[in-house]
Amino acid sequence: MMSQPDLRLSARTLFGIDSDLMVPAFSERDEHVPELDSVYRFNADVTLAILAGFMRDRRVMVQGLHGTGKSTHIEQVAARLNWPCVRVNLDGHISRLDLVGKDAVVLKDGKQVTEFQPGIVPWALQRPVALIFDEYDAGRPDVMFVIQRLLEQGGRFTLMDQNRVLTPHPFFRLFATSNTVGLGNLNGLYHGAQRLNHAQIDRWNIVATLNYLPREEEMAIVTARVPSLANEAGQALLAQMRALAELTRKGFAAGDLSTLMSPRTLISWGENIEIFGDPATAFRLSFLNKCDEAERTIVAEYFQRCFDRDLE
Amino acid sequence: MSEIQQQARHQQRIEELCAAAIRALSGEPDLHFRGRRLHRGRKVLPLYAPHLHPDIDRDDFASFRGAADGLALRLSRSDPLLHASLAPADPLQRLLFELLEQYRVESLSDPAMPGVAHNLAHGFERWSLAFHAAGLADSESGILIYTVAQVCRSRVLAQPVPEAIEDLLETTRGGVVPLIGHDLAGLRRQRHDQAAYAQHALAIARQIAAMLAGAGEGRDSAGAREGEDIDRAAFSLVMEVGKEVPEGMASVVSGRSLVLEGATDGYRVFTRAWDREVKAPDLARRAALLEYRETLDRKIAEQHINLPRLARELKALLARPRRDGWDSAQEEGLIDGRRLAQLVSSPTERRLFKTEHREPLADCVVSILVDCSGSMREHVLSVAMLVDLLVRALEMAGVHSEALGFTTGAWNGGRAQRDWVRAGRPAHPGRLNELCHIVFKDAETPWRRARNGLAALLKADLFRESVDGEALDWACARLASREESRKLLIVLSDGCPMDGATNLANDVFYLDNHLKQVVAQHEQRGEVEVCALGVGLDLSPYYSRCRALDLDAPPGNAVFREVLELIAGRARR
Repeated sequence: MMSQPDLRLSARTLFGIDSDLMVPAFSERDEHVPELDSVYRFNADVTLAILAGFMRDRRVMVQGLHGTGKSTHIEQVAARLNWPCVRVNLDGHISRLDLVGKDAVVLKDGKQVTEFQPGIVPWALQRPVALIFDEYDAGRPDVMFVIQRLLEQGGRFTLMDQNRVLTPHPFFRLFATSNTVGLGNLNGLYHGAQRLNHAQIDRWNIVATLNYLPREEEMAIVTARVPSLANEAGQALLAQMRALAELTRKGFAAGDLSTLMSPRTLISWGENIEIFGDPATAFRLSFLNKCDEAERTIVAEYFQRCFDRDLE
Repeated sequence: MSEIQQQARHQQRIEELCAAAIRALSGEPDLHFRGRRLHRGRKVLPLYAPHLHPDIDRDDFASFRGAADGLALRLSRSDPLLHASLAPADPLQRLLFELLEQYRVESLSDPAMPGVAHNLAHGFERWSLAFHAAGLADSESGILIYTVAQVCRSRVLAQPVPEAIEDLLETTRGGVVPLIGHDLAGLRRQRHDQAAYAQHALAIARQIAAMLAGAGEGRDSAGAREGEDIDRAAFSLVMEVGKEVPEGMASVVSGRSLVLEGATDGYRVFTRAWDREVKAPDLARRAALLEYRETLDRKIAEQHINLPRLARELKALLARPRRDGWDSAQEEGLIDGRRLAQLVSSPTERRLFKTEHREPLADCVVSILVDCSGSMREHVLSVAMLVDLLVRALEMAGVHSEALGFTTGAWNGGRAQRDWVRAGRPAHPGRLNELCHIVFKDAETPWRRARNGLAALLKADLFRESVDGEALDWACARLASREESRKLLIVLSDGCPMDGATNLANDVFYLDNHLKQVVAQHEQRGEVEVCALGVGLDLSPYYSRCRALDLDAPPGNAVFREVLELIAGRARR
């Protein structure tokens, strides 16, 4: 693993965003560098926030509704910078020991010995690695205090079991993604989201919000994923699909629906049209069947508006 | 009756779907229909254009869709302040100006939503044909307004005039178009710019108004009749602007009470001396109650209601998971100290852990308030069954419940009215009757002990007149004194408040407007959630959360599903 970035690349050519930034990057790929997705489309604001995280060692949290591609966004930035990247999915059962490390029985020279096995945090801390806490708001707030000091720039990490103090590698980076802003499950959509401690939320230097994208951007993303929609008729169909997705989002905001169509749903709808041919059938299989029985009539109304025919 | 009830429910379903579509299309979450009119929050929105108000008897569902889309576009694409600042004062000009602005927003519908454009065209065509069929286009002024409406729409939206009426317009069109031709072209060109468009629209409105005035002066003999025709055509175009509710088939007819609005001290009560609160078992002899109970039990048994299922669904709606002790003997979790000895005695035993136990607990109280007015008598059996089953299901779900009723002690004012006459009939005395509030079951009494009390609902001579507003206050006050964190009040009623003596001594809408005030006040305060079940009737003019029920047949599972939806808040309108 290379110990520091050795290149400076232009953000404009790398991410297609309007900025003159030159960003540090590694010349060699490492096994931890995520897979490159050549058709990924970057959102300018969020990309700049993530780049600030990489360049200036800021702690960046990306917040947004599900299916907006928060984690993928960070991963794709890392993939283009060849920056090794480790994703940790937090859940209510992750304990302090999992993050910090624990004593475990290992075999050494044919004998069983108890030895300290560092957890993911001390491991990543000593390497030029971007650590992503996925679903940060699913972690239990009392456990998350483990990273309290790390959130400060140059904050050191004390391994109490070992009486060691770890200094972070200068190119260690920390990111998080979450559905909520730490206020818990307010809209009933994110069951299991915890109310976070605001002393900790406060320590994140940058909080970027990635909600639904403007029409053109979202259509470009779906077109990139579903090439069969790239022709003129496909684009017209996609515009209708995207208009329907927009209606479900507004319906969700108004409290009429308890589910909404994310870009991910839109992509799977497009893919299902390839399989089943008919947009209505594909729609039923990709989204309608996920809706509550009582809400289907409302979704059918939306469908009629966008496709000028009734959903059976 | 049943047909009316079904139609009310049909209308309600259509309005729910249309309101949902309007909310999604316009992006405004607090829009809903009340008494056939679109409201934002508690405020009624103006009638923008005549073709946006289809009639349930005449028009199909697609027309309602068209109207909904038209309203949504109007709300999202038009700046109301700019519009108001430009609007002319003359009613006829104003009417045309409103109509033209509506065409403008309709021409701006999203090309990615072809269904919207289709619905709009369909709705307008239905309205055009109905207008023609009603003979409104027969008079000289009628055909002029009609032609202008058609020609302008066809130009602004670049759509042809409906084929069926093209010939009809031919002659008038020839006379009108040259006069407004320049502005007609401007309309289409400027449709993206509200201010520039409005200038052309105003010019057209002025020109047409002048032509109509000219037509009236030209023929003095027929002048009076002609003027009437203009009014009639214009009136039908703008529809019932003055009235709050259009011909209410199964909606509540409501209006304004000048007495209540004019009173400085608000709602007045002439005397409370004769009001009483009674417990239901005291209302009838024990033998009669037992007989009522037997009837009720027999009817309920015939209905085959799945009570445990209803209870489960209520529990899912009202209960929230709470931490409640520990589950021991688990395979993972925290170590349970009490089981460590077991580890020593049987080392293979792995169930040594404990986890938190979560139990859904309903911290909730539900009060059912039954309107015991005379007209409810015909539904009394269904209502009693509904209340009895709900109370039982709620109890099974661990929710405390109250069953309350309200009526009056006498017809036509009783002793309160007599006192008022003796006092020399002072003006505007306020409520003038003996209230009778009945407790069929209070929250602390279990169903088993309240069985006879609930059966008292079947006693027909209880049902007299109704003063809803005070009853609602009373029920809310009872709920407010409870400790549960969530308080729900379900009002079961079949109409507006009615008390002959009060209405005579004050005015017709005195009690009606007081009820509106009380509901608005409680909805705003939010301490008690107020929802209403209308027996074959749309109660939306009073309550923002309401449902119409069909209680002609005894209540089956379908009725309870509606009640559950109401509690779940889906019936928000």
